[in-house]
Amino acid sequence: MPKIIGIDLGTTNSAIAVTEGGEPRILENTEGNRTTPSIVAMNKTGERLVGLLAKRQAITNPKNTIFSVKRLIGRKFADPEIQKDKQWLPYEIKASASGGIEIKMSDRWYTPEEISAMILSKLKADAEAKLGEKVTEAVITVPAYFDDAQRQATKNAGEVAGLTVKRIINEPTAAALAYGLNKKTSEKIVVYDFGGGTFDVSVLEVGDDTVEVKATGGDTRLGGDDFDKRINEYLVAEYKKQEGIDISKDPLALQRLKEAAERAKHELSTALETEINLPYVTSDSSGPKHFLMKLSRAKLEDLVKDYVAKSIALVKETVTAAAPKGAGFNLSDINEIVMVGGQTRMPAIQEAVKKLFGKDPHQGINPDEVVAIGAAVQAGILQGDVKDILLLDVTPLTFSIETLGSVATPMIPKNTTVPTSKSQIFSTAADNQTSVEVHVLQGERPMASDNRTLGNFILDGIPPSPRGVPQVEVTFDIDASGILNVSAKDKGSGKTQSIRIEATTSLSKDEIERLKKEAEQHAADDAKRREIIEARNQAESLIYLAEKSLKDAEGKVSDEIKKSVEEKVEALKKVKDADVIDEIKSATANLSSEVQKIGQTMYNKDQSSANPNPAEEPKSS
Amino acid sequence: MAEENQNEKSLEEKLAECESRRDEYLAGWQRAKADFINYKKDELKRLEEISRYGTEDLIIDLIGVLDNFDLGISIMEKVGPLEKGIYMIRAQFEDVLKRKGLERVNAKIGKPLDPSIAEAISDIESEEPPGTVVEEIEPGYRLYDKIVRPVRVRVARGSDK
Repeated sequence: MPKIIGIDLGTTNSAIAVTEGGEPRILENTEGNRTTPSIVAMNKTGERLVGLLAKRQAITNPKNTIFSVKRLIGRKFADPEIQKDKQWLPYEIKASASGGIEIKMSDRWYTPEEISAMILSKLKADAEAKLGEKVTEAVITVPAYFDDAQRQATKNAGEVAGLTVKRIINEPTAAALAYGLNKKTSEKIVVYDFGGGTFDVSVLEVGDDTVEVKATGGDTRLGGDDFDKRINEYLVAEYKKQEGIDISKDPLALQRLKEAAERAKHELSTALETEINLPYVTSDSSGPKHFLMKLSRAKLEDLVKDYVAKSIALVKETVTAAAPKGAGFNLSDINEIVMVGGQTRMPAIQEAVKKLFGKDPHQGINPDEVVAIGAAVQAGILQGDVKDILLLDVTPLTFSIETLGSVATPMIPKNTTVPTSKSQIFSTAADNQTSVEVHVLQGERPMASDNRTLGNFILDGIPPSPRGVPQVEVTFDIDASGILNVSAKDKGSGKTQSIRIEATTSLSKDEIERLKKEAEQHAADDAKRREIIEARNQAESLIYLAEKSLKDAEGKVSDEIKKSVEEKVEALKKVKDADVIDEIKSATANLSSEVQKIGQTMYNKDQSSANPNPAEEPKSS
Repeated sequence: MAEENQNEKSLEEKLAECESRRDEYLAGWQRAKADFINYKKDELKRLEEISRYGTEDLIIDLIGVLDNFDLGISIMEKVGPLEKGIYMIRAQFEDVLKRKGLERVNAKIGKPLDPSIAEAISDIESEEPPGTVVEEIEPGYRLYDKIVRPVRVRVARGSDK
């Protein structure tokens, strides 16, 4: 089945993603990166470059390197915004015959659609290389404020690139989709998108299967790049103060500083302080000069606090202002906040947003990739995965078996995709035990009695033998409809017994949730209880071993050792059933070191000893 | 007779339905199996990539240290000859990175800028045709097949700037 790709066609960077097996994932480009600069260039030899390669030669070829074409697509040349952009764009633009825009690259004039198509063509080719198959269909995202002309132009660009554009969706809607928020009913969502070059805020309302954009706002001239510039300017100024040298004129020094500043900004998202360390950054008559400066998170936040405040003011306005300027909601009406764009990694921004709404924003998905991921989710819905006819369920709760000490030993953990099966070997808990009870349980608690009994059966006819010797293979098998078959087979006698449990999923959703919650609430107590049981099992094992060793070594060890071991056994027997774990442990340790003496004596007499060490046994019946 | 025909017809219908279901299920099964095999292949490729490029961040950071080391050496060389051991340490450092798949990329001076390996960070007046690489400012590095840092160069200024 041909795949539909999701494309985040950004102002500065673009990304592609695809949904496979129900999971969206980012596709890396041929340069091995997860995002591609939205830049197209024509070099001196007439070769067309797109993405990173175009970016690398931008400085030497500014007139033929086209970036930010998203600001131009679908617009009229006469738009005041375009007239403003014209002032600073290093490449030439002019009005087309129809009043649109044309861009000069090398010696030809192109429409913004054609330039966008070149970016889309590269993304398409990269996706094909990564997927190993042809790609002909796509979902492309656009800002929520794009008008019909801009959307149509974006769609045309896709068609020029050889892509059937199955749908144009809004970037904030895509972000909400990535977090699965479309499944909620009647929720109000704010998407806070702080990209490299633009800041967008959108207010969405999710109804039954629809996502409606209630308001959009933002600043098309505010972005993460402004933060970098601010840090750079600060560092250059500080250096001038300290060393009296202006490094802003030295391209290499500036390049190194720019990279260091960007790294410092990233580091300060997790660390409270970072060091910018650039040895030999420049030199003067006195010799080489180094750049060594500490930058704290507080200083960074101080440097850019006006940008953060501005973004928050814009959010407030977009949410609360009356239509058409805003959505006309109260801040407290907002149910969810989604963060998009790399700059939202900054803790000060997360804090400011949290403070404004009084709740934590969603930020589990990489904010640089969340829009492309959302586009792929939409693409996945459109391509209607094959899996739809073959819905595979997961086990909502853990299936386990009761073992020695009433412990629930998990066989199939929760969230396992079915059909599945699992086998494990168990043994007996007592000497000459001829039957075992298989007690099948469902639930998350570590103790059998706290979980739900699904059924039990007895496997008998096990030939009498010491504990831990028989091998009983227990198999859990769940088929696609959730029917659980549990069988037990004694490997010695070949005897088998089984049970079929149909009602494994008879629990209601609420019940499952309740059981999970209970497990969480009791986690600490349960862990303690389990520890005691484990210590007790170990104690019992050791007592068995000690008594057996004494019997085996009858007449071969001194009475002194025998008496001492017997005493320690008695001591352990006394404490093992009480719930004082430290006493059980210390009595076990005492006995353990005493028992070793038997072994030592035996070895000294050049005798060997066996070491039955039963691991896990179903409880005896 | 009519009843028999009816029965036969319904049996045929049932058979046809079963056959179409069988085909659907077989196709689904084959697809699932193929998906799984492909997934395993993809996963293997991904693991290979992780083992190759998993240390990419660390290596890029170390390249920065190597750059500074080189800067230090070149500046000290201006003052006088250096102790041989310094060069040995440098070679050792580069060797360690080489074993991890890192290779140095140098600029092609006098050739047009090749943006697949080089990044122009400034331009200067020159006799050379515009866009020609005039000077290497910082070497580039390739980690297996990926340029983790382009070689930084100065190019001849174009007349159209």
